[in-house]
Amino acid sequence: MSEFSLYLLQQLINGLTIGSTYALIAIGYTMVYGIIGMINFAHGEIYMIGSYVTFIVIAGLLGMGMVSLPIILIIALVVAIFIASTYGWTVERVAYRPLRGSNRLIPLISAIGMSIFLQNFVVLAQGSRDVALPPQITGGWSFGDPSNFEVSVSYMQMMIFAATFVTMTVLTLFISRSRMGRACRACSEDLGMTNLLGIDTNKIIALTFIIGAALAAVAGLLLGLYYGVVNPFIGFIAGLKAFTAAVLGGIGSIPGAVLGGLLLGVTEAMTAAFFPAEYKDVVAFSLLVLILLVRPSGLLGKPEVEKV
Amino acid sequence: MQKVGVLAAIDDINAAGGINGMQLEGVIYDDACDPKQAVAVANKIVNDGITHVVGHLCSSSTEPAADIYEEEGVLMITAASTSPTITDKGYQMIFRTIGLDSLQGPFAAQYVINSVKPQRMAIIHDKQQYGEGLATAVKTEVEKAGIKPVMFEGVTPGDKDFSALIAKLKKNDVDFVYYGGYHPELGLILRQSAEKGLKAKFMGPEGVGNPDISKIAGEASEGLLVTLPQSFDNDPANKARVEAIKAKGEDPTGPFVFPAYSAVQVMTDAMTATGTTDAEKLAEYIRANTFNTTTGELDFDEKGDLTQFSFVVYDWHADGTKTPAAQ
Amino acid sequence: MTQSKFYNAIFAAGITFILACLMIGVKLNTEGTTLTVEGATAAQWGWIIGGITVVFFSQLFSNQIDSAFGKLPKPAVSQLVPQSLKSEAMKPWLLAGVIVIMLIWPFMASRGAVDLATLTLIYIMLGLGLNIVVGLAGLLDLGFVAFYAVGAYTYALLSLYFGLSFWICLPLSAALAALFGFLLGFPVLRLRGDYLAIVTLGFGEIIRILLNNWTAVTGGPNGISGIAKPTLFGLEFTRKAKTEGAETFHAFFDISYSSSYKVIFLYLIAVVLVIFLIYLINRLIRMPIGRAWEALREDEIACRSLGLNRTAIKLSAFTIGASTAGFAGCFFAARQGFISPESFIFIESAIILAIVVLGGMGSQVGVILAAIVMTILPELAREFAEYRMLLFGLLMVVMMRWRPEGLLPMKRPQLELNKQ
Repeated sequence: MSEFSLYLLQQLINGLTIGSTYALIAIGYTMVYGIIGMINFAHGEIYMIGSYVTFIVIAGLLGMGMVSLPIILIIALVVAIFIASTYGWTVERVAYRPLRGSNRLIPLISAIGMSIFLQNFVVLAQGSRDVALPPQITGGWSFGDPSNFEVSVSYMQMMIFAATFVTMTVLTLFISRSRMGRACRACSEDLGMTNLLGIDTNKIIALTFIIGAALAAVAGLLLGLYYGVVNPFIGFIAGLKAFTAAVLGGIGSIPGAVLGGLLLGVTEAMTAAFFPAEYKDVVAFSLLVLILLVRPSGLLGKPEVEKV
Repeated sequence: MQKVGVLAAIDDINAAGGINGMQLEGVIYDDACDPKQAVAVANKIVNDGITHVVGHLCSSSTEPAADIYEEEGVLMITAASTSPTITDKGYQMIFRTIGLDSLQGPFAAQYVINSVKPQRMAIIHDKQQYGEGLATAVKTEVEKAGIKPVMFEGVTPGDKDFSALIAKLKKNDVDFVYYGGYHPELGLILRQSAEKGLKAKFMGPEGVGNPDISKIAGEASEGLLVTLPQSFDNDPANKARVEAIKAKGEDPTGPFVFPAYSAVQVMTDAMTATGTTDAEKLAEYIRANTFNTTTGELDFDEKGDLTQFSFVVYDWHADGTKTPAAQ
Repeated sequence: MTQSKFYNAIFAAGITFILACLMIGVKLNTEGTTLTVEGATAAQWGWIIGGITVVFFSQLFSNQIDSAFGKLPKPAVSQLVPQSLKSEAMKPWLLAGVIVIMLIWPFMASRGAVDLATLTLIYIMLGLGLNIVVGLAGLLDLGFVAFYAVGAYTYALLSLYFGLSFWICLPLSAALAALFGFLLGFPVLRLRGDYLAIVTLGFGEIIRILLNNWTAVTGGPNGISGIAKPTLFGLEFTRKAKTEGAETFHAFFDISYSSSYKVIFLYLIAVVLVIFLIYLINRLIRMPIGRAWEALREDEIACRSLGLNRTAIKLSAFTIGASTAGFAGCFFAARQGFISPESFIFIESAIILAIVVLGGMGSQVGVILAAIVMTILPELAREFAEYRMLLFGLLMVVMMRWRPEGLLPMKRPQLELNKQ
């Protein structure tokens, strides 16, 4: 292959990696939106907390002298999911449930407040500086001509792809096959009616927040390991990008969130590849505006039906 | 960090009997590095009748605040803001006890030209006042010597993923990168470069010379070149002061601690010599004279900048330590 | 006291423990280049246990607490004003009184206080502008700060490159911000609610990034410094005249120079601008277009079936709101003397939105009140600087639960029959 196509391939892989992580976080946004029609502004902070928990558990276990990496990672994953889900549940309980049924803007403001609160809570509890974890999973696979241009895919990147793919499949199966999933879909169709049919909608909404938070924790673990750095402010940027991805793909649709995430990641990587890297965010947001102009409800979103 | 240095200096001077029998008092204001707050703080300082200020920290806060101090005849010495534009407007009341970006950039460039001699050089910056200023200074200087950087590009501060940038560096066969900015971004760039097999040498300004960079980059930070001001806390002459600061439970190693200390010294020396606290007279005196301080002999030019400020190029090591680099 | 109450409390306490145990109870630390963890100090554990206890008992006695709170009268701010002052006849007098006090007090207050009041007035302008978009027209705009930036940069650049004065730039800034609002609004206003929110958020980021990257014109991250201060009919408020042939205020009136004149002058300009804006917006609300904004917010479909042009109405609200922000931005640049993209980040948009919502959407007096609260509170909370943002976030959540309609909800003009 020519140098150019190898370079293009490398940037595509980079874009897909970052896109996968956007997708993981975007699913959380899209699920909450799909069911209660609200933006969970604090979702990015949950991801950040997931990252912190991962770091704490890994550092703690390594400090205790545990050496088996897979076991450490599994424990970290379980703990991160557990803690992040608790945070997700609490956010719903404190900032959303008491406000259900009020003007659309009210929970949004309350969620922005929650997001500011959580971010500063972590600043106070853990400090505002970058915390770094030495690389745990190293190595990778490379091909191409070393003298020309070598494409490299690290094991970490492959792990991110795999995790995104598995998570999305499991989630899609859960939503389409399980009893709870059916209840979720019913809620997103008509909350009031579902309630009348004897389904505890409060429970379903709480469950949605928990699932979203668990996915954010998975993203927190993967990205924490990939970049090796965490600080209290990563949640805002990641949340913004993921939310853009969710809207891009059509908010409310899970495949849409994944598609949106991948598209956004690849766009960013390609912009950085051929233009000055500082413009990648501008291009990302412009893409969003353009797509919404052509398809106002996103790539895979259902057109909204106005009800009188 | 400025606070630590200033308070230490005030304690020392008061313990030695004050100036002409007067005791100094330090009042702390916090502008949170927010330009809007900085203006509010500056107005409050003027309002509170304070006429001598050591600060501010961030260049973007110092700049609007300096405007007010100049207007109101308040003597200001910053020990941390390194942006050249601050003193560009012909202020009378504004000084600084720290080297400018415009000094550090050419210094780094000289080292690149004489010692590194790169084949394909890239200059990356973080698009902030500090980083971009330095990067531009380095670029102008190396171009004069006939080295044409193959890339000159910004990254977004706070970004975590630099894989696209690194692929680009690899494609351009870059063998030397100058980075203008701070340690969190460069740390990640180093770490990801190592993972992606980019074999280039990196160099950065004092903003990257923070032990944290080794925590982020690990082994990848070995061999990084850093320009730093002479570390004043290692100066044997400052040993007693370092101990005193440590005894108070503060950290004396920050790059702004001793410049802040010497800022207070400059002010108080001028007060002792002129026998007045009148800010305008002090400003004239400071401009005209040379001061012997903890950061060495300080001499100010017309603009209020130091006429010289020495930097040293260090080799950074993976354990967060540094040794002077071979010339 | 039922048993379920007790289990509930235990559950809540358990949740609090899970939330706190790792994030507060364990601290990440780096030794050399390895990451380590250390347990919290006894004092921190004390705090955690204290927190858990508080949660436990507040859940256990939640009924009692709720009923106690229920007995507390909700402070209806409008009722704090005595009835006699509310009559229509008194209104002009009351207004005149407020205006006179606003004009006189800076001559007695300290410089810092006047400066803070000026900052508050800037937020009032922004709040009033966003109030049109969010409060009246019901369009959720999360990138309002973009128009603020456009206004500020318009003045800064025109004054830097063409030497135009503040007074000429003020309408220009508003016009340019309005143009940006129009250009953005035209395509995106057919998006519904939350899509609009994210697009405006993205737009705010785009403007900020462009200002940051376009170094040749905007100075990039260095910003623009030395922006000229406003003059009074050509009289400068500096110690010495800056431009050739100009005269200074104190020389013209032959009074001794005082630095606080400039601060007071800026404050007075802000007061005049705010009064002008309030007057203008009040007129607009009473005009058909203002009625149409509210009607559209309440029921879009009904409006359309009544033959109202949805796009035109939304666009007018968006454009007028944007021009108000441009106004505020121009003044901000003049007050600050230095602007950089750092002043126009997302959190500013969030604060302005919080002002509108806290004040009570659509209510102008509420917005003014909220702007005062939001700028003065952080000043008062300076001692708890570390906890300032934490409390800010908490306040937003608590306010939404306690008074979702805002401090001073908007009241529609209404007639009541006199009951004899």
